Amino acid sequence: MPRPSTLRLARDWGGEEAVAVPPFTAAPATHEYEPLLEANPYQPHLARLVRVFKMVENNWLFTFRFLDEQLARGFRHRPGQFVMLSVPGAGEAPISISSSPTRPGVLELCVRRVGRVTGALYRLEANDVVGIRGPYGNGFPVDRIRGNDLLIAAGGLGMAPLRSLLWYAIDHRDLFRSITLMYGARTPDRMLFRDELVSLLDRTDLRCLLCVDADPSGTWQARVCQLPGLFERVEADPTTTYAAVCGPPVVYRFVLQHLLALGFPKDRILMSLERRMKCGVGKCGHCSVGYKYTCMHGPIFTYWDAINLPEIV
Amino acid sequence: MGHHHPGSVSPLRTLTAAVRHHRDRNVGPVKTVKLPRRKLDFFASVLQRFGELHAPVARNGHFVFQRVRRWSEARLEYTRTELPPKKYFLPPRETLFRFTPGKGYVPESEDLDRRIVLLGVHACDIYSLNILDLVFNGKYPDPYYQTRRRNIALIGVDCIPDQRCFCRSMRADTVEQGFDLFFYDIGDYYLTLVGTALGDDMVLAAGELFESVTPDDVAEYKRRSQERHQRFQLDVEIRDLPEIFEMEYGSEIWEELGAKCLSCGSCSMVCPTCYCYDVADETQLGSTAGRRVRTWDSCLFATHAAVAGGENFRHSRASRVKFRFYHKQRGFVAEYGRPSCVGCGRCSAVCPVGIDIIEVINRLRGVEYAETEHAATR
Amino acid sequence: MQATKPTVGIFGLTGCAGDQLVILNCEDELLSLVDVVDIRDFLMAASGGDEFSTLDIAFVEGAVMTRRDEEKLQRIRRRAKALVAIGTCALQGGVPAMADGLDWPSAVRDVYGPEGDGFDALPARALHECVEVDFSLPGCPIEKHEFLGAVADLLNGNPPQLPTYAVCTECKMRECDCLLVDQGRFCHGPLTRAGCRARCPSYAVPCVGCRGPVPDPNLGSAMDVYTSKGWSPEEVVQRLRTFGPLPTPVPAGEAA
Repeated sequence: MPRPSTLRLARDWGGEEAVAVPPFTAAPATHEYEPLLEANPYQPHLARLVRVFKMVENNWLFTFRFLDEQLARGFRHRPGQFVMLSVPGAGEAPISISSSPTRPGVLELCVRRVGRVTGALYRLEANDVVGIRGPYGNGFPVDRIRGNDLLIAAGGLGMAPLRSLLWYAIDHRDLFRSITLMYGARTPDRMLFRDELVSLLDRTDLRCLLCVDADPSGTWQARVCQLPGLFERVEADPTTTYAAVCGPPVVYRFVLQHLLALGFPKDRILMSLERRMKCGVGKCGHCSVGYKYTCMHGPIFTYWDAINLPEIV
Repeated sequence: MGHHHPGSVSPLRTLTAAVRHHRDRNVGPVKTVKLPRRKLDFFASVLQRFGELHAPVARNGHFVFQRVRRWSEARLEYTRTELPPKKYFLPPRETLFRFTPGKGYVPESEDLDRRIVLLGVHACDIYSLNILDLVFNGKYPDPYYQTRRRNIALIGVDCIPDQRCFCRSMRADTVEQGFDLFFYDIGDYYLTLVGTALGDDMVLAAGELFESVTPDDVAEYKRRSQERHQRFQLDVEIRDLPEIFEMEYGSEIWEELGAKCLSCGSCSMVCPTCYCYDVADETQLGSTAGRRVRTWDSCLFATHAAVAGGENFRHSRASRVKFRFYHKQRGFVAEYGRPSCVGCGRCSAVCPVGIDIIEVINRLRGVEYAETEHAATR
Repeated sequence: MQATKPTVGIFGLTGCAGDQLVILNCEDELLSLVDVVDIRDFLMAASGGDEFSTLDIAFVEGAVMTRRDEEKLQRIRRRAKALVAIGTCALQGGVPAMADGLDWPSAVRDVYGPEGDGFDALPARALHECVEVDFSLPGCPIEKHEFLGAVADLLNGNPPQLPTYAVCTECKMRECDCLLVDQGRFCHGPLTRAGCRARCPSYAVPCVGCRGPVPDPNLGSAMDVYTSKGWSPEEVVQRLRTFGPLPTPVPAGEAA
């Protein structure tokens, strides 16, 4: 970006012949996503609600496509990143991206109905328009994970941000050594992406281990046990494996315990955190933990970060 | 232009680079001239050609920055304003977007191009803006803040510390940059540092008003500078303070402060470097059209770290008080290389329960309060 | 498809009708309001309301102070999909709740004499003590901008957004002089919910707490502040009870 000469800037300031400098310009038409950030990082881009899949009660999967074709095709993210989603009239909230960057064109967001913004989202219908900006956050360090084994451990709603990583790894199967998914939910009808994950059970190029705490319906095909119970079936070499974990606090507690017992170094355990956010770009201060901003330094933290940052979990 | 991760570079260089990049102004060799004190009103009228003139004005025994219509209203010998100049760059309440179902989110740019000359800003307050620059620049520059920063000129003025000032301890008692002009009182004259090309234009626009500096003027400046340095009544050591904050994370002092704090938010509002904000959408009757508004916020509010699901990561009052101190004195150092506190003394002045940052730091250090006061007068 | 307009009712129980007056005083916006909603019941503005239709939103001001109030409130509750308490009396009892703790029959007799015995008068109760309340708009009276904002939000299906922080915050934003710290006057600012944009302090009048307490008031520390400035604990309690019972400290975070 060329810098205006200071001389001109100074003259612009005072004199009679002052030129009105427009305060800032709207986003220029772009082919890549990055340059949009130059203009106004708070600018939501309009996107159409393509599909609502009532996946789990109060946890629906929403599929969006940007109205701007270039943006729809050019938008890229890393697994584990999030967007700021605006629902007209209600406000803006951070939502992690559940779709994989290897499947561009649409964005899939698994959204829990908890507040004003998500409540309004649940009242939208297909073809309604929302605002989306991002992607934000560090995402999973996929470049570092490459060439290693990948162990994904999710509990309950923790599958939402991990699903992006799962499909990224499956779509780049040759870049990773073994892939293992461990996912536990309370009951089959509370399991996110259930049908899709069940279809992975028979694959030979990855280990898909699913479990439920209880099966009131009696139709569950896979295991009935607690998530840590799946560790009996997992052999992971801690020196060549990265573990990505997400779930409620109880899941963190037990999964971390097992991983540490297996000898995992603390910086090979990756966790995805949720915080209140109003900007997503390191300004508003809400998501700070210790001295880090979840939106900039996270939402993916290593376990080493976690024990060194106060009040993180 | 590359965005370097701070932390790997020296803090001062990061600050300098960020400010340079941000202000788009040359911080070249500084020119020094002097302005006869009795001609200040004339210069003020010249300044009006450069924008609305705003300066500290007395209001019921307090000072506030506001527009001056008559120069006689301005008070350059003031202690501290109620709100710091932050309010010009990050207003307490501002509209970011207007949205309509048809047009989507349209950035609000009204008022952003207002030209203002802010005259009479103390060094600590200019320093605080240099610090805010670090936050509102970075990977995602904030265009609202940035635009105002470009359109508002700053003319600094030196000051005599009072019983609440500890800017010297926070290394913010002088600024090398971030101002267009800076006035030092040397008796019959203001020794004037010219910081930017714009400042130079202001000097030139005043015609013959400014005079050359003599060796006697410089000697007088040095004498007064030394005298000012010795007038500080407060002293606090910030060396290794981040480490001490880390070690004292479990200190009982936080519970004690938590029991006292009213979470009224006063300290955050008046703090020149508190920048937390909230964003909310306000709609018009009968439609989803409306405005996206941002307002000042505080980490002391119970809702600050509460997520929509109901979980609150800083549930207790003590944890919020601790967070505020921790972020200023520890977190900001890790991120930007220096504490974000500039020692202006506003937070201690407004706190209804008398929470005093100097006292907190000294207690964490294990230094007696009285001893420090003694040290300050040495 | 032209949807029918949402129906709204505005009601008053025992109170001064000040909140209904605020609504009537929304002069410029009143026309847009009737444009988008169907006001079925607003005794203050028109007689002969429709007493039986269902209401999408019912705004109710005033405290419950008679059996008649209680029955009326229950009827409104049955009709309304969303019940919004407006004004401090409806939220926490208001000024009438000052009588809390008195021996009720003798208090009534003291005021009205022997005839008081026959009066249908009960100790003041807030609406939520009688029926389920969906949303609340504080203030004595309510703020016009909060009312209009709440209607706009409710019509969009969104919960209204109100500040939960203290008056001090808005007071500082306006650079008012601090009446408590600098002038030593009894200001309720640190304990009182913001939203009024610190109207009283901006006129150098101390806050009297008309909007009710913040969700997490630190009463103990506030008491220390007030007593250190010379007020006796009894006096402090009396002042804090002007608009309702003493706030019970809520664990931070459960508020909002």
